[in-house]
Amino acid sequence: MTSLRGRAVIGGILWAAVTILLGFAGLQSFVDQGAEERFDELLLTRLSQVVTAVENVAATNPEAIAGAVGDPVFMRSMSGLYWQVENELGQVFRSASLDDHVLPRPRLLVDAAPNDRFLGPMGDPVRAMSRYLTLDGGSLWHVQVAKSIRGLQQELAQLREIMLTAFTFVIVIGVVGALLQVTVALRPIEKLRRDVQQRWTSEGGLDHGKYPEEVAPLVYDIDTLLTRNREIVQQSRKQAADLGHAIKTPAAIMRNELDALARAGQPVGEAIAALDRLDAQLKRAFGRMRAQTGIAALPAVTEMDRSLGRMVCAFGDMAAQRNLTLTADYPPGQRLRMDPTDLEEVLGNLLDNALKWASTAIRLTAIPQAGGVTITIEDDGPGIPPDQIALAMGSGQRLDIAKPGTGLGLSITADLLQAYGSALLLDQSADLGGLRARFHLQSVQAQG
Amino acid sequence: MRILLVEDEPVLAQQINTVLVTEGYAVDIADDGIAAEALGVSQPYDTIVLDMGLPGRDGMQVLKNWRAAGMRAPVLILSARDGWTERVDGLDAGADDYLIKPFHMPELSARLRAMIRRKSEQASPVFERDDVVFDSRINQVMVAGQGISLTAQEMAVLSYLFHHAGRLVSRTELSQHIYHHDGARESNTIAVFINRLRKKLGDSLIDTVRGRGYMIKAPE
Repeated sequence: MTSLRGRAVIGGILWAAVTILLGFAGLQSFVDQGAEERFDELLLTRLSQVVTAVENVAATNPEAIAGAVGDPVFMRSMSGLYWQVENELGQVFRSASLDDHVLPRPRLLVDAAPNDRFLGPMGDPVRAMSRYLTLDGGSLWHVQVAKSIRGLQQELAQLREIMLTAFTFVIVIGVVGALLQVTVALRPIEKLRRDVQQRWTSEGGLDHGKYPEEVAPLVYDIDTLLTRNREIVQQSRKQAADLGHAIKTPAAIMRNELDALARAGQPVGEAIAALDRLDAQLKRAFGRMRAQTGIAALPAVTEMDRSLGRMVCAFGDMAAQRNLTLTADYPPGQRLRMDPTDLEEVLGNLLDNALKWASTAIRLTAIPQAGGVTITIEDDGPGIPPDQIALAMGSGQRLDIAKPGTGLGLSITADLLQAYGSALLLDQSADLGGLRARFHLQSVQAQG
Repeated sequence: MRILLVEDEPVLAQQINTVLVTEGYAVDIADDGIAAEALGVSQPYDTIVLDMGLPGRDGMQVLKNWRAAGMRAPVLILSARDGWTERVDGLDAGADDYLIKPFHMPELSARLRAMIRRKSEQASPVFERDDVVFDSRINQVMVAGQGISLTAQEMAVLSYLFHHAGRLVSRTELSQHIYHHDGARESNTIAVFINRLRKKLGDSLIDTVRGRGYMIKAPE
């Protein structure tokens, strides 16, 4: 199991269940034992009562034993409390409560423990106590009292029921408490997850001082890791930009020299072609480097209207210079999970492509859907045949060498979008008829 | 036409300078941002080529300072920074065009000509008056279908007057736009160039307003 909450809740419930069950069993045993002891004490009192009566009258008038015991509960038929006295001559005297029934006969002169649990006259279980008694005249008597334990059983069952209800209540309280405890205990982890998520979309760091002391060192380490990651990405991008600048200016010088030689009729075609390949290779390498570091660049969130507004404004002017119409429709207030320069690179490449191929019109739309925004750029140019779309997405593939460019724009765009978990979809515009390029980006909720 | 070329790489600056001078431009070169900013606000350039990564002051800041100071010459950014964000930043800061290094020199030339035409509100690179035809793309002048040979400075005067057709251009203005910063400027030589142009292209092309300047009439 990988969920901390699951582990804590299930572990807590199992431990609570074992504890409660053991507690229930222990308490029930204690209650049962106590009840039986009280029962036995009462029965012993009854036995003493009958023994006293036997000692008083049995030697002279055994028939008077019932009167000597005197307790009405022994007089009432089937009252559940019985006595029975038997002498060595086999004469049996018993309480009126037994009616015609007889309690099990004692095994006189046999040194064995008497049976103290058996079925009473009503078929209900009874518990008995007995003792042998030798009167002054030397006669041997067996005195036995028995009491139905149905009442005791009912009392114990009632107690068990009350205990079960109480323990069920305790279990419910325990489980709810465990859930609450886990929720409270895991709150710093939840906060850490939110803070780390938010850190991707903001410049601020994690404040480990706001976390419990057990979590604070982890938060500090994560913050250090994220900061280092951000520095590495920014340094990488800066180094790539510096390297690009350092290479492109000498490349420009070489290209100008070669162009001048070519104009002078010198055979430099192969050198120019090699320089073209070098330029394309560099552009591809920098594009990939950018895509690979894009998602880690911070802050990776874009105010969509700002970026779209800037690009539409810039490309609107370029479109106007070429007698093209660029229309745009996008909702305000959207924040997208992408670095602004990367989004503008994607938009720039797609709009630049549309600008090259459109006959009269280019349309940009952004529609919020599925927790994000789908951005579509369409034109009324010739489009790309379905069987050549995969080719167009390949690095350095130019479908028409009559148009300027390296053929890397769509490939770099696809790489950049892939780095953000998105994808570039190319097909035919339903109404404009030219190329339709679409991609979907996740939205970022406004920070409260 | 007078151009300010801002480029800190001396070899590249010289390459561009050579091509632009060959095409008839008067070129001033600045190799750092501070000098570039000072020249831009003090000299009447017809267009400016601006590198971004400059010592002293970044090209983007130079451009912003120019526009804040009211400098209106069209600016082409020539930069190794090839991201669309940088390009749009440059255009938003007041640039008129953006060309990425490495580049083809003919493309730079064509874009500079297009910017100069846009500033002069001239749609076509080919100017025609009566039987005189001036093709600014190749600096070729034809009169009644016959090619005419002009010196670089004659071509520069003719180009400036054509680009500002319909407006009276003073000798001072002409001299400011056909000589570079360190060039010897004598307004009398302007009169000499005008006379030579009249001899080669006919008297009717350029009107003289005595004491005020010269003008090629606007197209009808």
